[in-house]
Amino acid sequence: MTPNRHGSAVIEFPSELEIVITREFEAPIALVFDVLTKPEHVSKWGATPPDRMTECSIDLRVGGSYHSSFVTGDGTVFSFSGTYLEVEPPTRTVETWLFNCWPDAEAVETMELHEHEGVTTLTWKLAFSDKAGRDHVTRFDGQQDSLDEMEDILRSLLDPSRA
Amino acid sequence: MSISEYVLSMARASTTSDVFNAVADVHRRKILDVLITGEKPVGAIVGDLSMSQPQVSKHLRVLSEVGLVRCRAEGRRRLYRVAPEQLRPVHDWVGKYERAMNDRLDRIDDYLQELQRQGDGSDT
Repeated sequence: MTPNRHGSAVIEFPSELEIVITREFEAPIALVFDVLTKPEHVSKWGATPPDRMTECSIDLRVGGSYHSSFVTGDGTVFSFSGTYLEVEPPTRTVETWLFNCWPDAEAVETMELHEHEGVTTLTWKLAFSDKAGRDHVTRFDGQQDSLDEMEDILRSLLDPSRA
Repeated sequence: MSISEYVLSMARASTTSDVFNAVADVHRRKILDVLITGEKPVGAIVGDLSMSQPQVSKHLRVLSEVGLVRCRAEGRRRLYRVAPEQLRPVHDWVGKYERAMNDRLDRIDDYLQELQRQGDGSDT
């Protein structure tokens, strides 16, 4: 019987520039890597209904790019894109991360996988390069504008599909 | 309800609470970190942090206004302590976010299990 790991993600903020999420999966590392990096798999889990994933392209090689787009129930479009800096199947990818709602934020995303006794641990890190990006995460001044931004932040955190 | 609507409703709800504003400031969070270890006078907080007494007093005023910090007089001293129950809105808000994040990872998990049941996951 496979243990139920639902709800087991660990979310940490090791510094003001970084967000780290850790999650274990009851699956071999090669399969987890494929599910996280192949468009035919990502399109299966990428969107949260009723949102739809409208685009998912992944050119998984150093210098290759990825792009994913989502449309929400109210027609809002979110997209993520970037370029792969490191690709080491099935353990690691490093890529730049751009989010259409935060044009001034630059970040580098790192996905690492580690398998131990049939259990694969995903460590997903988003590291902002400077204060502009960081401020999206830490800004919290109670104004509606920033609260709207907060929604965008959360949405982006909910989308590890470019990992 | 989509996550975006859900999160937006949470964000809007939070405008009714200044607690979020109070903990947005790194200095005020440091003061809370000091006070969580026990009741202290202003001087002790100043001693623990690299802030001036006027600065600490200003932040204590903000924290007191939203109920995160309570103050009582003991002789001529005023002692400050944290009222952690007032952090409940922040705790609840973060909890909802964690659940939403988990939903996505749980979906990956379910998909992985489905692929393995199908024996369809061996291509690399």
